Formats: sequence, C-alpha cells, structure tokens
Amino acid sequence: MIVPGETLWLTLIGLPTASALAGAFVRPGLAERIARAASLVTLVAALLLLVGPSRGSAGGILGWDAMSDLFAVLVAALYALSTWDSARYLGSVRASALSPSTYYALLGGFAAAMLATLAVSDLALMWIGLEATTVVSALLVMYDRRPASVEAAWRYVLIASGGLAVGLFALALLYGEAGSLDAFALAAHPPAWTPALALVVALALVGFGTKVGLFPMHAWLPDAHSEAPAPVSALLSGALLPTALYVFLRIYDLVPPTGALGLRELVVGVGALTALVAAFLTFGQRSYKRLFAYSSMENMGIALVGIGLGGIALYGALLLLVAHAFAKSSAFACSGTALQTTGTSRIDSVRGFGRRSPRTGALWLLSGLAVTGTPPFGSFAAELVILTGALAQGAYGVVAALVVTLGVAFAGVNYPLGRMVLSRAESPELPSEATESWLSTIVPGIALGVALAVGLGSIPYLTGALRIAAGGGFP
Amino acid sequence: MAVGPAQATLLLGVAILLTALYLQTESFVGPQIRAIALQSLLLGGLLTVLAAEQGSLVLAILAGLTVGIRALLLPYTLTRQAAAFRLPERELRAGRRVRGHALAAVLLAVVGGGLYLEVIGPAFGHPDGVIPFLLLLEGLLLMASRSNALVRVIAYLEEENAVVLLGALMAAGFPILVESVVLLDLFGVVLTAGFLSLHRTATGVPEEGFVEELTG
Repeated sequence: MIVPGETLWLTLIGLPTASALAGAFVRPGLAERIARAASLVTLVAALLLLVGPSRGSAGGILGWDAMSDLFAVLVAALYALSTWDSARYLGSVRASALSPSTYYALLGGFAAAMLATLAVSDLALMWIGLEATTVVSALLVMYDRRPASVEAAWRYVLIASGGLAVGLFALALLYGEAGSLDAFALAAHPPAWTPALALVVALALVGFGTKVGLFPMHAWLPDAHSEAPAPVSALLSGALLPTALYVFLRIYDLVPPTGALGLRELVVGVGALTALVAAFLTFGQRSYKRLFAYSSMENMGIALVGIGLGGIALYGALLLLVAHAFAKSSAFACSGTALQTTGTSRIDSVRGFGRRSPRTGALWLLSGLAVTGTPPFGSFAAELVILTGALAQGAYGVVAALVVTLGVAFAGVNYPLGRMVLSRAESPELPSEATESWLSTIVPGIALGVALAVGLGSIPYLTGALRIAAGGGFP
Repeated sequence: MAVGPAQATLLLGVAILLTALYLQTESFVGPQIRAIALQSLLLGGLLTVLAAEQGSLVLAILAGLTVGIRALLLPYTLTRQAAAFRLPERELRAGRRVRGHALAAVLLAVVGGGLYLEVIGPAFGHPDGVIPFLLLLEGLLLMASRSNALVRVIAYLEEENAVVLLGALMAAGFPILVESVVLLDLFGVVLTAGFLSLHRTATGVPEEGFVEELTG
C-alpha cells in the first residue's frame, strides 16, 4: 500500500508537534513515552517517503521532491535516536533551567520545525522554519543552566538570527527580481541569470551559511554543539546543519551550470576554506565535544564543495550528509556517556576510558573514524565520490585542499580520541569499577551500524533515493 | 509646497536611516528602545504612504502590523525585560567608544551607499534599495560592536526592519502570510533572547563575559 505523500508529510510535521504540545502539559514520564512513540512513528512515515511518489504539492504551501524526502528521513532518524537517548542523559543532570517535560516538548518542536522547513515549497516559509529551529533549539542548548551553556545559547541566538536576517534580505531581493519564492517553480523555470541573481545567491550563502556554520560565520557552532545536552548536540550536528544546507541548495538551484559569474567557484571556495579551517581547528581543542563540533563544520564544508561542483559530486555531498549524521549521532552519544562517567569534557582529564567502559570506548573510537572518512564507513565513499567529481572537472586545487583537510582532520580528531580511550594511564575522574550499562551503547551502536551500512551500500532504496535527489545523469 | 508620495517615501527613508545612526551613538538602553520604536513607527508610516500610493490592501495591513508589533508591542516587551532583569542601563564600554562608533557608522553609510549606488543598484535596477541596504549594514554593525544583551536584540530588530523596507520598496511587499509569520517569529526571538538574558544574568555571565569553556 502506498500512502499519499501529503499524508506522510502532514504526519511528519504533526506528530512531533503533537508530542511538543503534549510535553508542555503532562508529567515527565508520560512526556518521555509520548516523545518516544511520536519519534518512532515519525521515522516510519519518513521511511515510507522513500518508497512512495517523490514529488508533489498540496495547496501551494506544502511541496516536496526526492531531495526533501531524503532530508526528512535524515531528520526523522536523528530525532528518534536523540529522543531515545535523552532519558539516560536527563537522569544525570542535577540542575536544569527547564523540566524534563519541557525538554521533550522542545525536542518535538525542534524536529517539527526542521521537518516543516523541508515540507514547504516557499523559500520564505523555509526561512521561517529555520528561524523557528533557532528559537527552540537555543532553549535546549541551555538546558543544564551552566554559565557556559547559557552564554553559548545566547551567542547562538544572536549570530544565527543575525545571519538569517541577511538570508531573508536575499529572499526579498529574489522576490523583487523573480516575482516568486516558490523553490520548485523557480527551479523548473529559472529566471534569466543576471548579476542581481548572483548577488542574491551570494547573500544567501552568507545568510543561510551562518546557520550551516560556514567560515567565517561559524562562531556559534562550536559553542552551541559543545554546550548542548549530548542528544541535542547530535540533532544540531546531524539534522539542523543539513536542513540549513538544504535551504541554500534550493536557492543554489537557480545558478546555471556555466557562465554563473564565478558563483560556483565562490561556493566551492567557501566550502573548501571552511573544511580546511575546521580541520586545523581540531588541533589544540581542550573539549572533546568541541572537537566533534569542529568535525561537523569540516564535514559541512566538504558537503558544500560537492554541492558547488554539482553532478556526481552532489551525489557525494548528499551521501556525506547521511553518513555523517549517523556517525556524529554515535560520536555525541558516546561523548554524553563519557561526560556522565568522568564528569568532565576536558580531553586532558580523560585517560583510560576504554578500560572502564570498553563497549562505549570502542564505539567512540569507531565513531571518530567514521566521521573522518575512514573505510568502510559511508563518509569514506562519499568523500571519494566528491574527490572524483572534482578531478573530473579539473579542479585540482580543490582536490589538493580536500586531501589536506581529510588528513589533518583524521589526525586532529582520532589522535586525542585514541589517547582518551586507549591510554594505559587512568584519569582520577574515572570510577574505580566498570559502570557501563548496555543501555548506553544501544543508540550509538545503532547509529554507527547505519553509518557502516551506508558505506557498504546495504540500505535498501538509499542509493536510488540519493541518485534521484542528486538529479541523476551520472554513471 | 505639497509633498508627493515619492518625496514622502524619501523623507521617511532618510529619517529611518537617521534613527539607525542615532542608535550607533547611544549607550543608554532606554533611549535605544525608544529609538527602535521610532524607527518602526517611521517604517509603518512609509508603508502607509506606499499602500495609499499603490492602493494596496496588503501593504496597508503590513503597515498596521508593523506599527502594532514592531513599534508598540516589541519595544514594550523590551522595556519590561530591561526593568525585570535589572540589565545595565548603560553600556560602559560603548559609552567610552561612542565617538568611534559614530564615525564607523557614518563611514559604513558612505562606503555602503557608494557600493550600492554604483554596483548593486544598477544590477537590480532599483536605486531606492539603498536605504534598506544601509539599514541592514548598520544593524549588523550594531550587533557586532555592542555587548549588551538588549542592544543586540535591538540590532536584530533593525536588521528585520531593513528586510521589511526592502520588501516594500522593491518587491511591493512580501506575501502577507510570510510577513505575518515573520512578525510572530520576531516576537519569538525577542522573548527567547529575553529568557536567555534572564539566565545569563542569573548565572553570572558579565556583560563582556569570558567563559573559559567557550574558547578554542
């Protein structure tokens, strides 16, 4: 039975919204159960999108295609993983600015805002959805009410909202130039390419790029990702950054393949620079969550390079977003366990973690490898495809920059991770006996398994969905 | 001498720009809230002129929403927040650097205006977009140069005013649905920022705070 796309999309937005509303009124235990059930049904609805019709609209407000479907699966999966990992985390928070019920309400609202961004056809409505994610997720970032987390949330709201205002300015210019903000109509019948449209895309790169964490507008990203509760960090990194990139992708659809007044080169350049800067910034980090935040920035930079190059590199970029989301979800889940176990996020203070928590330690190490493009994880295949696309276009400078980036990021992430997990010395923060529970390994285990399956090409429908989303036209 | 719609639009636009320059030179929070309210009121007036000139109901509704939410409700909320959270009524650092801020704001207006009129405006065929463009730049400068929580929210409001002005001048207004939701969203951002300000003050982060965990 094929469920109509409209029903599925309304379910995708409606269930997290209902969970958010319920969370605001019920006691914590019930809010948790409702959130878990809602996240699972949302995931099932998203997966059904992959086997159903891939394009449609409803009443002019909703609009979707294969690309929206793919991103919806990503958001729904990360929402489910984060929701199921939350109870374990919340149990360890001593002081909080919000009740657990409010936490689940905000988590549902966060997912609903991201899914609504993906479900609409109007770029201005996408902007509204994206801005709504800022409002909701900022409150989640400051959940444990430490000075650092409150300050991180504050910076996040200001920088992301300020950047998105530039994005809205770009949309106003676009509306004046093209007379429409319907992303699908504009893609089907693009207006004649002019310097004015080039300015629109450049401003959109700055505006929406702020939310993606592109250099040099990235200042909020390491703060928010490192200070948020671990399940929220996973959602920010694996779902929110791709959602913001999705909105830029819709605007980038306006750029012609040739004669784009240097726009494609600009996008590829910003992507490569972001990846390179982030890779070098992984060195010298004192917090392991901050380390993974810079790794997210690096991956978004590489994905932007693929988007800028287009063709098969776009396929690689989409594959990278999928693989990175699951790998990073695992990395942050393990980071949350490490934080609970040791009470510190300082890299220098954690030694011998693998001896006390061998399963989490192993998953943590593998997650580090998975987010830095190590075979056989999905990010390796994705980065290989992007490099192939760059080589095919003769972009040798980009290839060189990416190779350096990958090497630096691999060392920058995995060396400190190895020291924390494999070191023979044990930090005094560790408990004297192993306290690891199987529960703490379920979510990272599943997420890492998906990242691996993506790399092995063993997820049904995924390759086809990626190919359709990237526009096909390549072997 | 009668003032036509074009002259009225220009006058109101210049007045809006002057409020933006004033915001850069003011270090007391109270006058800044009143200045952003005045800027929004002028924006509402400009939208009313455009609505009358074009006979546009959409722009008339937008003018009403702008005055109601941007000129009255949001400044009222900000005033309540400033009082309730006991935020510093004056930015000390900004108070010492007020002349530098004023100079930077004027320079930005001159350079940005030249850039728009010579390069961007001709590309779009809309020289009247220069005022919203400058307003956006001044909003970004205010955001970057200040550390007081509420002043940064005011800077964000100024950026949003620039977007509304651009939409009205160049695109005959965004679709009204979008404008309405953007206004609601704006309210959400202001409330969230206020909530965060409360906790920021309560957790002891100073106005020019340094948090060791957020370095690197």
